[in-house]
Amino acid sequence: MSRLPKWFPWHPSPATLIATGVVILGVLLTEVSWWFLVLVGVGALGPGILRELGWLKDKDEFQRRAAQRAGYHAFLVAGFVAVLLTAYFRSGERQIKDPQSLADLFLVLLWCTWLFSSLFAYWGARRTATRILLIFGTFWLLFVVAECVGERTSPLGFIIHSLPAVPFFFLAFLGRRWPRVAGAILMAAAAFFIYFFGWYKVGASGMVNQTVTMILFIGPLLGSGVALLGARAEEPRTESA
Amino acid sequence: MKPRHDIRNHIRRHRLAVDGLTQQELADRVGVTRQTILSIEKGKYAPTIGLALQLARVFGVSVEELFQLEEGGDDV
Repeated sequence: MSRLPKWFPWHPSPATLIATGVVILGVLLTEVSWWFLVLVGVGALGPGILRELGWLKDKDEFQRRAAQRAGYHAFLVAGFVAVLLTAYFRSGERQIKDPQSLADLFLVLLWCTWLFSSLFAYWGARRTATRILLIFGTFWLLFVVAECVGERTSPLGFIIHSLPAVPFFFLAFLGRRWPRVAGAILMAAAAFFIYFFGWYKVGASGMVNQTVTMILFIGPLLGSGVALLGARAEEPRTESA
Repeated sequence: MKPRHDIRNHIRRHRLAVDGLTQQELADRVGVTRQTILSIEKGKYAPTIGLALQLARVFGVSVEELFQLEEGGDDV
Protein backbone atom coordinates (compact mmCIF):
# COMPACT_ATOMS: atom_id res chain seq x y z
CA MET A 1 0.00 0.00 0.00
CA SER A 2 1.12 3.61 -0.53
CA ARG A 3 2.45 5.80 2.26
CA LEU A 4 -0.08 8.57 1.84
CA PRO A 5 -1.39 10.19 5.08
CA LYS A 6 -4.05 8.16 6.94
CA TRP A 7 -6.64 10.93 6.59
CA PHE A 8 -6.31 10.79 2.82
CA PRO A 9 -9.28 8.80 1.50
CA TRP A 10 -7.34 6.95 -1.23
CA HIS A 11 -4.58 4.46 -0.49
CA PRO A 12 -3.63 2.96 -3.83
CA SER A 13 -1.03 0.29 -4.39
CA PRO A 14 2.14 1.31 -6.33
CA ALA A 15 0.76 -0.52 -9.39
CA THR A 16 -2.48 1.51 -9.23
CA LEU A 17 -0.50 4.75 -8.85
CA ILE A 18 1.65 3.93 -11.90
CA ALA A 19 -1.46 2.93 -13.89
CA THR A 20 -3.17 6.21 -12.94
CA GLY A 21 -0.11 8.12 -14.15
CA VAL A 22 -0.17 6.22 -17.46
CA VAL A 23 -3.89 7.00 -17.90
CA ILE A 24 -3.35 10.73 -17.25
CA LEU A 25 -0.33 10.77 -19.60
CA GLY A 26 -2.38 9.01 -22.27
CA VAL A 27 -5.22 11.50 -21.96
CA LEU A 28 -2.82 14.46 -22.22
CA LEU A 29 -0.98 12.98 -25.21
CA THR A 30 -4.20 12.55 -27.19
CA GLU A 31 -3.67 16.24 -27.99
CA VAL A 32 -0.66 15.06 -30.02
CA SER A 33 -2.22 11.94 -31.54
CA TRP A 34 -5.28 9.83 -30.82
CA TRP A 35 -3.02 6.77 -30.97
CA PHE A 36 -1.93 7.69 -27.43
CA LEU A 37 -5.40 6.65 -26.31
CA VAL A 38 -3.91 3.16 -26.28
CA LEU A 39 -1.92 4.29 -23.21
CA VAL A 40 -5.22 5.00 -21.44
CA GLY A 41 -6.30 1.46 -22.22
CA VAL A 42 -3.00 0.05 -20.96
CA GLY A 43 -3.26 2.04 -17.72
CA ALA A 44 -6.94 1.36 -17.12
CA LEU A 45 -7.07 -2.31 -18.06
CA GLY A 46 -3.45 -3.50 -17.80
CA PRO A 47 -3.33 -4.01 -14.01
CA GLY A 48 -6.61 -5.94 -14.11
CA ILE A 49 -5.26 -8.24 -16.84
CA LEU A 50 -2.06 -8.82 -14.85
CA ARG A 51 -4.13 -9.59 -11.72
CA GLU A 52 -6.26 -12.11 -13.58
CA LEU A 53 -3.09 -13.76 -14.91
CA GLY A 54 -1.84 -13.95 -11.32
CA TRP A 55 1.26 -11.85 -12.05
CA LEU A 56 0.17 -8.92 -9.90
CA LYS A 57 -1.03 -9.56 -6.35
CA ASP A 58 -1.69 -6.12 -4.88
CA LYS A 59 -5.38 -6.54 -4.02
CA ASP A 60 -6.95 -8.49 -1.20
CA GLU A 61 -9.97 -10.77 -1.58
CA PHE A 62 -12.58 -8.06 -0.92
CA GLN A 63 -11.03 -5.75 -3.53
CA ARG A 64 -10.80 -8.57 -6.08
CA ARG A 65 -14.40 -9.54 -5.39
CA ALA A 66 -15.57 -5.92 -5.80
CA ALA A 67 -13.67 -5.60 -9.08
CA GLN A 68 -15.07 -8.89 -10.39
CA ARG A 69 -18.64 -7.92 -9.47
CA ALA A 70 -18.19 -4.52 -11.09
CA GLY A 71 -16.92 -6.24 -14.22
CA TYR A 72 -19.98 -8.52 -14.26
CA HIS A 73 -22.31 -5.53 -13.82
CA ALA A 74 -20.56 -3.78 -16.72
CA PHE A 75 -20.99 -6.92 -18.85
CA LEU A 76 -24.72 -7.11 -18.02
CA VAL A 77 -25.39 -3.45 -18.84
CA ALA A 78 -23.23 -3.32 -21.99
CA GLY A 79 -24.59 -6.69 -23.14
CA PHE A 80 -28.19 -5.58 -22.72
CA VAL A 81 -27.57 -2.35 -24.64
CA ALA A 82 -25.76 -4.31 -27.38
CA VAL A 83 -28.81 -6.57 -27.78
CA LEU A 84 -31.15 -3.56 -27.92
CA LEU A 85 -28.99 -1.83 -30.54
CA THR A 86 -28.70 -4.99 -32.64
CA ALA A 87 -32.49 -5.39 -32.57
CA TYR A 88 -32.94 -1.70 -33.46
CA PHE A 89 -30.56 -1.67 -36.41
CA ARG A 90 -31.59 -5.07 -37.80
CA SER A 91 -35.30 -4.37 -37.57
CA GLY A 92 -35.21 -1.75 -40.33
CA GLU A 93 -33.09 0.11 -42.84
CA ARG A 94 -31.25 2.01 -40.15
CA GLN A 95 -27.65 3.21 -40.37
CA ILE A 96 -25.31 4.57 -37.75
CA LYS A 97 -24.43 8.16 -38.65
CA ASP A 98 -21.07 8.04 -36.92
CA PRO A 99 -19.73 4.49 -36.36
CA GLN A 100 -16.99 5.84 -34.08
CA SER A 101 -19.65 6.97 -31.64
CA LEU A 102 -20.66 3.34 -31.15
CA ALA A 103 -17.23 2.57 -29.69
CA ASP A 104 -17.56 5.70 -27.50
CA LEU A 105 -20.94 4.49 -26.27
CA PHE A 106 -19.61 1.12 -25.16
CA LEU A 107 -16.53 2.66 -23.54
CA VAL A 108 -18.75 5.03 -21.56
CA LEU A 109 -21.19 2.25 -20.64
CA LEU A 110 -18.49 -0.16 -19.50
CA TRP A 111 -16.49 2.47 -17.66
CA CYS A 112 -19.42 4.19 -15.91
CA THR A 113 -21.04 0.92 -14.81
CA TRP A 114 -17.74 -0.45 -13.54
CA LEU A 115 -16.99 2.79 -11.67
CA PHE A 116 -20.44 3.02 -10.07
CA SER A 117 -20.45 -0.61 -9.02
CA SER A 118 -16.97 -0.30 -7.50
CA LEU A 119 -17.89 2.86 -5.59
CA PHE A 120 -21.06 1.25 -4.24
CA ALA A 121 -19.07 -1.79 -3.10
CA TYR A 122 -16.55 0.37 -1.23
CA TRP A 123 -18.72 3.13 0.18
CA GLY A 124 -22.25 1.71 0.20
CA ALA A 125 -25.20 3.22 -1.66
CA ARG A 126 -25.92 6.17 0.61
CA ARG A 127 -22.38 7.51 0.86
CA THR A 128 -21.68 6.96 -2.84
CA ALA A 129 -24.85 8.78 -3.89
CA THR A 130 -24.07 11.66 -1.51
CA ARG A 131 -20.51 12.04 -2.82
CA ILE A 132 -21.61 11.88 -6.45
CA LEU A 133 -24.11 14.68 -5.79
CA LEU A 134 -21.45 16.76 -4.02
CA ILE A 135 -19.05 16.24 -6.94
CA PHE A 136 -21.79 17.24 -9.40
CA GLY A 137 -22.58 20.40 -7.42
CA THR A 138 -18.90 21.29 -7.00
CA PHE A 139 -18.21 20.85 -10.72
CA TRP A 140 -21.12 23.14 -11.52
CA LEU A 141 -19.83 25.77 -9.09
CA LEU A 142 -16.30 25.57 -10.54
CA PHE A 143 -17.76 25.95 -14.03
CA VAL A 144 -19.75 29.02 -12.91
CA VAL A 145 -16.71 30.55 -11.14
CA ALA A 146 -14.57 30.08 -14.27
CA GLU A 147 -17.28 31.58 -16.47
CA CYS A 148 -17.98 34.54 -14.15
CA VAL A 149 -14.28 35.38 -13.72
CA GLY A 150 -13.81 35.30 -17.50
CA GLU A 151 -16.81 37.51 -18.17
CA ARG A 152 -16.35 39.74 -15.07
CA THR A 153 -19.90 38.98 -13.89
CA SER A 154 -21.31 40.94 -10.92
CA PRO A 155 -21.67 39.19 -7.52
CA LEU A 156 -25.45 39.06 -8.04
CA GLY A 157 -24.96 37.43 -11.45
CA PHE A 158 -22.60 34.91 -9.87
CA ILE A 159 -25.23 34.00 -7.25
CA ILE A 160 -27.92 33.59 -9.91
CA HIS A 161 -25.64 31.41 -12.07
CA SER A 162 -24.75 29.30 -9.02
CA LEU A 163 -28.37 28.51 -8.15
CA PRO A 164 -28.56 25.29 -10.26
CA ALA A 165 -25.85 23.80 -8.00
CA VAL A 166 -28.00 24.25 -4.88
CA PRO A 167 -30.34 21.27 -5.57
CA PHE A 168 -27.32 18.94 -5.77
CA PHE A 169 -26.03 20.04 -2.36
CA PHE A 170 -29.55 19.96 -0.93
CA LEU A 171 -30.14 16.42 -2.27
CA ALA A 172 -26.77 15.30 -0.88
CA PHE A 173 -27.88 16.56 2.53
CA LEU A 174 -31.35 15.02 2.11
CA GLY A 175 -29.89 11.69 0.96
CA ARG A 176 -28.04 11.22 4.25
CA ARG A 177 -31.20 11.62 6.31
CA TRP A 178 -34.07 10.58 4.05
CA PRO A 179 -32.50 8.47 1.30
CA ARG A 180 -35.78 7.31 -0.25
CA VAL A 181 -37.16 10.84 -0.55
CA ALA A 182 -33.90 12.02 -2.14
CA GLY A 183 -33.88 8.93 -4.38
CA ALA A 184 -37.42 9.61 -5.62
CA ILE A 185 -36.57 13.29 -6.30
CA LEU A 186 -33.44 12.25 -8.25
CA MET A 187 -35.44 9.81 -10.38
CA ALA A 188 -38.01 12.53 -11.06
CA ALA A 189 -35.22 15.00 -11.89
CA ALA A 190 -33.67 12.52 -14.34
CA ALA A 191 -37.05 12.01 -16.03
CA PHE A 192 -37.53 15.80 -16.18
CA PHE A 193 -34.13 16.35 -17.84
CA ILE A 194 -34.86 13.63 -20.43
CA TYR A 195 -38.14 15.42 -21.23
CA PHE A 196 -36.65 18.94 -21.02
CA PHE A 197 -33.74 18.22 -23.40
CA GLY A 198 -35.95 16.11 -25.68
CA TRP A 199 -33.73 13.03 -25.30
CA TYR A 200 -36.72 10.72 -25.68
CA LYS A 201 -36.68 11.36 -29.43
CA VAL A 202 -33.72 10.94 -31.78
CA GLY A 203 -32.10 14.32 -32.44
CA ALA A 204 -29.75 15.68 -35.08
CA SER A 205 -26.67 14.23 -33.35
CA GLY A 206 -27.98 10.68 -33.84
CA MET A 207 -29.23 8.13 -31.38
CA VAL A 208 -25.85 6.76 -30.30
CA ASN A 209 -24.26 10.17 -29.65
CA GLN A 210 -27.38 11.23 -27.81
CA THR A 211 -27.23 8.12 -25.63
CA VAL A 212 -23.61 8.85 -24.70
CA THR A 213 -24.54 12.39 -23.62
CA MET A 214 -27.52 11.07 -21.71
CA ILE A 215 -25.45 8.46 -19.85
CA LEU A 216 -22.86 11.04 -18.82
CA PHE A 217 -25.44 13.60 -17.72
CA ILE A 218 -28.37 11.51 -16.46
CA GLY A 219 -26.44 8.36 -15.45
CA PRO A 220 -25.06 9.71 -12.16
CA LEU A 221 -28.47 11.11 -11.17
CA LEU A 222 -30.30 7.92 -12.13
CA GLY A 223 -27.67 5.69 -10.51
CA SER A 224 -27.71 7.71 -7.29
CA GLY A 225 -31.52 7.73 -7.29
CA VAL A 226 -31.79 3.96 -7.67
CA ALA A 227 -29.11 3.44 -5.02
CA LEU A 228 -30.82 5.72 -2.52
CA LEU A 229 -34.21 4.12 -3.12
CA GLY A 230 -32.71 0.74 -2.26
CA ALA A 231 -30.46 2.07 0.51
CA ARG A 232 -32.45 0.62 3.41
CA ALA A 233 -32.19 -2.91 2.02
CA GLU A 234 -28.42 -2.81 2.39
CA GLU A 235 -28.35 -1.70 6.03
CA PRO A 236 -25.58 -3.61 7.75
CA ARG A 237 -26.42 -6.86 9.54
CA THR A 238 -23.94 -6.70 12.34
CA GLU A 239 -23.94 -6.99 16.09
CA SER A 240 -24.55 -3.92 18.19
CA ALA A 241 -21.40 -4.40 20.29
CA MET B 1 -34.93 -24.25 -3.25
CA LYS B 2 -34.10 -20.83 -1.87
CA PRO B 3 -31.04 -21.01 0.36
CA ARG B 4 -30.16 -17.93 2.36
CA HIS B 5 -26.70 -17.09 3.58
CA ASP B 6 -27.30 -14.20 5.95
CA ILE B 7 -24.26 -14.31 8.18
CA ARG B 8 -23.96 -12.54 11.50
CA ASN B 9 -20.44 -11.90 12.74
CA HIS B 10 -18.83 -10.98 16.04
CA ILE B 11 -15.55 -9.61 14.71
CA ARG B 12 -16.05 -6.16 16.22
CA ARG B 13 -16.73 -7.51 19.70
CA HIS B 14 -13.68 -9.77 19.62
CA ARG B 15 -11.52 -7.01 18.12
CA LEU B 16 -12.39 -4.57 20.88
CA ALA B 17 -11.85 -7.25 23.50
CA VAL B 18 -8.20 -7.62 22.37
CA ASP B 19 -6.85 -4.36 23.87
CA GLY B 20 -9.08 -2.31 21.62
CA LEU B 21 -7.43 -3.59 18.45
CA THR B 22 -8.09 -1.15 15.61
CA GLN B 23 -9.45 -2.24 12.25
CA GLN B 24 -6.12 -1.31 10.65
CA GLU B 25 -4.15 -3.38 13.15
CA LEU B 26 -6.39 -6.38 12.60
CA ALA B 27 -6.15 -5.88 8.83
CA ASP B 28 -2.33 -5.83 9.07
CA ARG B 29 -2.33 -9.05 11.10
CA VAL B 30 -4.35 -10.99 8.54
CA GLY B 31 -2.88 -9.28 5.45
CA VAL B 32 -5.90 -7.41 4.09
CA THR B 33 -6.96 -3.77 3.85
CA ARG B 34 -8.90 -1.90 6.55
CA GLN B 35 -11.75 -1.61 4.05
CA THR B 36 -12.07 -5.40 4.03
CA ILE B 37 -12.34 -5.60 7.83
CA LEU B 38 -14.85 -2.73 7.79
CA SER B 39 -16.97 -4.47 5.15
CA ILE B 40 -16.91 -7.77 7.05
CA GLU B 41 -17.90 -6.07 10.32
CA LYS B 42 -20.76 -4.28 8.58
CA GLY B 43 -21.99 -7.56 7.12
CA LYS B 44 -21.46 -6.29 3.56
CA TYR B 45 -18.89 -8.93 2.74
CA ALA B 46 -18.59 -12.58 3.76
CA PRO B 47 -14.91 -13.55 3.86
CA THR B 48 -13.44 -16.65 2.27
CA ILE B 49 -12.83 -19.70 4.45
CA GLY B 50 -9.13 -18.88 4.45
CA LEU B 51 -9.60 -15.39 5.82
CA ALA B 52 -12.22 -16.58 8.32
CA LEU B 53 -9.72 -19.13 9.64
CA GLN B 54 -7.02 -16.45 9.87
CA LEU B 55 -9.35 -14.15 11.82
CA ALA B 56 -10.31 -16.98 14.15
CA ARG B 57 -6.62 -17.70 14.74
CA VAL B 58 -5.91 -14.06 15.63
CA PHE B 59 -8.67 -14.11 18.27
CA GLY B 60 -7.94 -17.65 19.43
CA VAL B 61 -11.50 -18.81 18.87
CA SER B 62 -13.27 -21.13 16.44
CA VAL B 63 -14.74 -19.86 13.17
CA GLU B 64 -18.23 -20.70 14.49
CA GLU B 65 -17.70 -18.26 17.35
CA LEU B 66 -16.96 -15.48 14.87
CA PHE B 67 -19.55 -16.23 12.20
CA GLN B 68 -23.07 -17.58 12.57
CA LEU B 69 -25.99 -18.07 10.25
CA GLU B 70 -28.68 -15.54 11.06
CA GLU B 71 -31.95 -16.78 12.51
CA GLY B 72 -34.40 -17.29 9.68
CA GLY B 73 -31.64 -18.48 7.38
CA ASP B 74 -32.28 -21.98 5.99
CA ASP B 75 -29.79 -24.73 6.63
CA VAL B 76 -28.07 -25.74 3.45
